[in-house]
Amino acid sequence: MSSVATQLATKLPAEPKAKLCALVLEDNQLDAELVLRALRQGGFEVTGAVVQDEAGFTKALHANPPEIVLADYNLPNWTGMEALNVLRREALDIPMILVSGALGDVTAVECIKRGVTDYVLKDGLARLPDVVRRALREKLERSLRHQVEEDLAKKMDELARSNSDLEQFAYVASHDLQEPLRMVAAYTQLLAERYRGKLDADADKFIGYASEGALRMQVLIQDLLAFSRVGRSGTPMANVDCNAVMQEILQTLASPIRESGAVVTCDTLPTVWADRTQIVQLFQNLIGNAIKFRGNQPPAISVKSERQDGKRLFTFRDNGIGIPEESLENIFVVFQRLHARTEYPGNGIGLSICKKIVERAGGRIWVESKVGSGSTFKFTLPLQTADETERTKP
Amino acid sequence: MSSEEVDILLVDDSQDDVDLTLHALRSENLANHVFIARDGEEALDFIFCSGPHAHRSFDHPPKLVLLDLKMPKVDGLQVLKQIKDDARTKTIPVVLMTSSREERDMVSGYNLGVNSYLQKPVDFGNFREMVKLLGLYWLVTNQPPVANGKTQTAKQGQ
Amino acid sequence: MNSGLRLLLVDDNPADIGLAREALAESAHHSEITSLENGTDAIAFLNRGGKYADAVLPDLVILDLSLPGCNGMTILETIKTGPQLRRIPVVMFSTSRLSRDIVRCYELGASCYISKPGNLNDYLSAVKSIENFWCGFACLPPKGE
Repeated sequence: MSSVATQLATKLPAEPKAKLCALVLEDNQLDAELVLRALRQGGFEVTGAVVQDEAGFTKALHANPPEIVLADYNLPNWTGMEALNVLRREALDIPMILVSGALGDVTAVECIKRGVTDYVLKDGLARLPDVVRRALREKLERSLRHQVEEDLAKKMDELARSNSDLEQFAYVASHDLQEPLRMVAAYTQLLAERYRGKLDADADKFIGYASEGALRMQVLIQDLLAFSRVGRSGTPMANVDCNAVMQEILQTLASPIRESGAVVTCDTLPTVWADRTQIVQLFQNLIGNAIKFRGNQPPAISVKSERQDGKRLFTFRDNGIGIPEESLENIFVVFQRLHARTEYPGNGIGLSICKKIVERAGGRIWVESKVGSGSTFKFTLPLQTADETERTKP
Repeated sequence: MSSEEVDILLVDDSQDDVDLTLHALRSENLANHVFIARDGEEALDFIFCSGPHAHRSFDHPPKLVLLDLKMPKVDGLQVLKQIKDDARTKTIPVVLMTSSREERDMVSGYNLGVNSYLQKPVDFGNFREMVKLLGLYWLVTNQPPVANGKTQTAKQGQ
Repeated sequence: MNSGLRLLLVDDNPADIGLAREALAESAHHSEITSLENGTDAIAFLNRGGKYADAVLPDLVILDLSLPGCNGMTILETIKTGPQLRRIPVVMFSTSRLSRDIVRCYELGASCYISKPGNLNDYLSAVKSIENFWCGFACLPPKGE
């Protein structure tokens, strides 16, 4: 029988042994052996050392850093808890298991509170392998979590820095570009004025193109500057009365409104918590667009507001030319234009500024539209922080 | 005056001159936020947010102070000196506008740091013309020191 | 009112100086324009040192901020602290729209601050407004103590 058993034993695949580098702190040689045997029986291939005192412990710790420490509670000139302090001092995240003779429950709990991972009684060593496994698993989870958190923090930093670099770049580039641009724009215009008809037809054409190019660049730079400014606005957030904002905009846009015969109807609007300058910019861009992208009929623009999930939902509806379905997503992208420059002027930056402003305030913007039936722009903004009960309208 | 924002502080004890000035400013649409002080004392209370103007704040100075020279209580040069001597108010543009033809008044004004010195024309037409131009120059062409741009708080630039 | 006044224009961009001269070419005030392109020359001119020993002090200074040599703020400070120079009105004329630049100039004693407009017509208008106000309406102080 024994030979069959032996044959079976040799034929069956042995369980793979997990390698374990352990540091055992125990002055009693026999007890140390029992610990090592318990580990081997539990499926570990154990390497490492057995030490009896502080000197031996410290030396072994540095010579061959273990994955786990198994320590007796009481040693002749030292204690397992003092060994724990050494680990602490060296900022080593190595789990420590106390292996001890009788250890009252209270003391055991105290030790765990002070940082011991677990404890096993010397007459209960059968538990030891599982205890070790659990300790190692927890350590692994801990380091994985730290790694993820560190990676995330680093990515956030990089993102913030990159955004700030980009904005800085956009600002500096546009600011420094203005002067040479003015030189080109101003002098091509002077050339055009002073020499029109005095050189040949080609010259007039060339100067015309140069002028036009320069003027377009100037507008582009100003738009870029405006875009880069959104994130860096020095204006503090405050309660902003949107009705006052609307009044201001109707004044500012008085000419285009009059010329296009536009009619703007507006509900009583709420007060929101935002950067006032940017809210003005946001509303102005939306209304300006509604007037600009009009169809054959005079623009009819309506502005409404309602509560939605603790925020304010604004709706700007127009009867203009509308937006094709495939462009609805892209419309907020910088410099995305849907039409030829000759049909409708502009750089395509207005809506990306709107999106940046809304998102900076903590909201969301989107559009519903159909070609020929106008567009409805919707966005959310946080409510004012002060008294909200005065707003009885939904 | 419901709003804090005052564009022009007009300091003059002559009712005629005040009327003429307002009329000229109105024709250029610049008269919306004008505060009139009848003497130097009231002007100083306004600028230094004291007395009846204690509710005012140093963060919203006027964009321009139009100051006459000869006034009761506290005269123009005194007002000018106090404004320009105080770090909180010295950046406020002050324009002396006076009937005085004395060169030494002008010299004193410039020595005290006045931004500009004008002599009131005798002729009404010229007076109006001057005020219009002045208003346009100081309120439209000029960049006043921005209200919240105090250097102590080192606000971010634009 | 004032004719034959002396204007000192300090700007490192000859193209901008060219535009200013264009703007003032037909002015009724017949001001005499001296232009300098760097800060060090401007200081030497105002102090009537070296090659500028025969210089005549200007009645009005139009000053850019960004200059090679010594920058606009330093020149402004030099003018406003010099006993003979401090009465000369200084008009800042700069592309910078930073509020800290604007406020600092006022603190140092600039009379006013005009932002250089981007387009040609506005630029010419701005220069004309400056010259018209200071040479046509304002009383400029007598020079010297």
